[in-house]
Amino acid sequence: MEQVLVNSIVAASVYALLSLGFGLIFSTARFFHFAHGAVYAWAAYVAFTVSALWGWPLAIGIICGIVAAAALGSACELVVYRTMRRRGASTLTLLLSGLGLYMVMQNGLSLVFGDGNKALRTWPAGEGFALAGARVTGVQIAIVIAASLLLIAVWLLLHRTGVGLRFRAVSNDQDLASAVGTHVDRSILLAFALGSALAGGAAILISLDVDMTPNMGFIGLMMAVAASIVGGIGSIPGAALGALIVAFAQQLSAWWLPSQWQDPIAFGILFVFLIIRPQGVFGQRIKKASI
Amino acid sequence: MLRCERLTKSFDGVQALADIQLALPSSGIIAIIGPNGAGKTTLFNVITGILRPNFGKTFLGDKDITSLQPHLIARLGVARTFQDLRFMRQVSVSDNVMLARPNQRGENFFYALTRIGVAKEEAVNRSVCMDLIRFVGLEDKADRLAGELSYGQQKLLTLACCIATGARILLLDEPVAGVYPEMIEHILDFLLKLKVQDKLIVLVEHDLTAVRRVADQVIVMDEGHIIAEGPPVEVLARPEIMEAYVG
Amino acid sequence: MTYLLHVATMIVIYTMLACSLNLLAGYCGLVSIAHAAFYGFGAYVGALLAIRFGCDLLVEMACVTLVVGMVALLVGWPALRILDDYFVLVTFALQAIAFGVFNNCVSLTGGPLGLPGIPPPSLLGWRVSTHLGFLGLTSLFCMITLAFSFLLVRSPIGRILVCVREDEVFAKVLGKDVVRVKISLFMISACFAAVAGVIYAHYTTFIDPTSFTINESIFVISIVIIGGAGSLSGPIVGAVILVTLPEVLRFAGLPSDIAANSRQIIYGTVIVVMMMFRPQGLLGKYRFER
Repeated sequence: MEQVLVNSIVAASVYALLSLGFGLIFSTARFFHFAHGAVYAWAAYVAFTVSALWGWPLAIGIICGIVAAAALGSACELVVYRTMRRRGASTLTLLLSGLGLYMVMQNGLSLVFGDGNKALRTWPAGEGFALAGARVTGVQIAIVIAASLLLIAVWLLLHRTGVGLRFRAVSNDQDLASAVGTHVDRSILLAFALGSALAGGAAILISLDVDMTPNMGFIGLMMAVAASIVGGIGSIPGAALGALIVAFAQQLSAWWLPSQWQDPIAFGILFVFLIIRPQGVFGQRIKKASI
Repeated sequence: MLRCERLTKSFDGVQALADIQLALPSSGIIAIIGPNGAGKTTLFNVITGILRPNFGKTFLGDKDITSLQPHLIARLGVARTFQDLRFMRQVSVSDNVMLARPNQRGENFFYALTRIGVAKEEAVNRSVCMDLIRFVGLEDKADRLAGELSYGQQKLLTLACCIATGARILLLDEPVAGVYPEMIEHILDFLLKLKVQDKLIVLVEHDLTAVRRVADQVIVMDEGHIIAEGPPVEVLARPEIMEAYVG
Repeated sequence: MTYLLHVATMIVIYTMLACSLNLLAGYCGLVSIAHAAFYGFGAYVGALLAIRFGCDLLVEMACVTLVVGMVALLVGWPALRILDDYFVLVTFALQAIAFGVFNNCVSLTGGPLGLPGIPPPSLLGWRVSTHLGFLGLTSLFCMITLAFSFLLVRSPIGRILVCVREDEVFAKVLGKDVVRVKISLFMISACFAAVAGVIYAHYTTFIDPTSFTINESIFVISIVIIGGAGSLSGPIVGAVILVTLPEVLRFAGLPSDIAANSRQIIYGTVIVVMMMFRPQGLLGKYRFER
């Protein structure tokens, strides 16, 4: 049981970052940016290229990966979404274009890197050491710490800085925010850059623990969506709680079911929440189309 | 006929309806007036089932319709129009009105696919709709896309759709606001004709001249409360009403 | 010649898929990313019935329709009461769960190794085994799908569909049971996708989960988008364009190991470009506004 808890916390750290990024984008741009999953995958592979292929130090690889993610996410906004918003696109068309971008980026990744697994780790996977009745590796502990620090940092950014205040104004009410003169566009771009960077961070953290697979973009997207819906989209505690619930459900189910059912379990949880409580644990009641 | 008991509704801390008691007759023209934010449209939304009240009930005759789905309430004979006009822009005027016709056999999957008896029913409905379109003065626009009409014409279209449902109770949200004067007269004449057909028309309106012309009863709302009720001659003469409204 | 027949058969199958998705997405405004899931359900159920029981094709179709219709009802009934943006997510989850089932229920589906040895179908005694025969069979069912759409769209239900996608509150206050219409359309579109799946399974004689992934769903969406949502001929045009395009590329000398990814990139680009500049597609009427 302790092992389940430990594994859940490690997995949840990664999911929480993904979910937070996704949620930040949703709360400002108001649609589900499916390409988030592809951005996540690209970050890991860029880091891999820079450090494992080109031999630069790991730290440089990590920075490049995160920057690449932020750049890709921002490019989606600047090239595609913003143009569409100017022309009055609906959230459905934006969502569909995000699907298209996901296809392009995900397959671009397969094209460039092929279909095999890649490892960011250059050190051998250790057995880990015992902690409170479970096994955990140093890397895993580092993942949890790093993710927690990032979550706190984002919270500080949003709640203790001027930039963050304007950002939250936009995500709480776009009409109000434009009336006050805040640059909605700038906040949306920030959301994409920051959200994608968080996804990049998540990708790198998880790649330090397990191999990268070509499918990781889809899995990443799924975890982002699942944790966001379960926890409540756009709130930091929501992202963390949603991530914990999803990760815990997955790890718990691994006791009874073969491990390849872990992902369908996550989707099942997502499905249940969508039907019963789409606003998640912490989310606000989504207002239906106003009359 | 249509009765509201202790209807209460609030959103985000704003009280839109506060303990509304209403008993409407089975026919006639009732006008609801009041400043913006008084809760008039919210009242319509609650009666037609688009919103659930926090407390209170709505009755149609003996039937409690408070928690019924909007389409079921519509089928019981309550039709409405909206302040921001709702209709299908990409569809012709006559198809818009055709949609409003109730009890269409062709809307059942079996009949839609086998087409048994559908053509005949469509023909009957088309002629009813054309009569309505003529009644409303839009017959030369019948095949045009509804989105191409002028604002006043679109208002008439939504009115025609409302009538086409065959409903006995019509809730009209600002039927003459923003419409040019000749058209207003036309619409008001039309409403008087409907009253003769034994319908109950409830109007939300800001245009007091129009209200004086057609309404049998006026109900004044302010901040979610009904503050006055009575014939227009009497209610609109009271200075405190005019002040609450204009001032 | 066989090659041309193959391409034609695939065009027809994708026309069926696009037409059924178009009913849901183009006429009702409900975009589903689960179309490949239903396609896959049809393929697997049909294949299993054929392999284990040697059923007639019509029996397979009937069973598949029943099973898939039920799944669609179970999913659709709660899901279609919630906000439409969330409906897309529900279908997303459904698609992923379906893939999980195809990939992991090894005793039923063969898991990642798939189901080989699917026998040729027999339709009331007519054993279909030639390429021409398959083209004929597929076209028959495609005609049925298209005819069904035509009848539906041109009927009073078609008026309700257009209203649901334009302004569903208007439909509700006119007394139309919008939720029931949406659920029905979801079930219908799922069943037609499943029927296409049965034919596909018999045609290729071997199916595996990789044919029924989210990529496949997105491919069908791209066909609907480019052909034009909300039009009856859009799916046909879209299928012709997007099925022949990669074949043209193959002749242009694109090596096969990058062919698969390049195709997907093209489909993705088609979606992005169309959404940016012409969401109603070539022949469509619906611009995915809500």
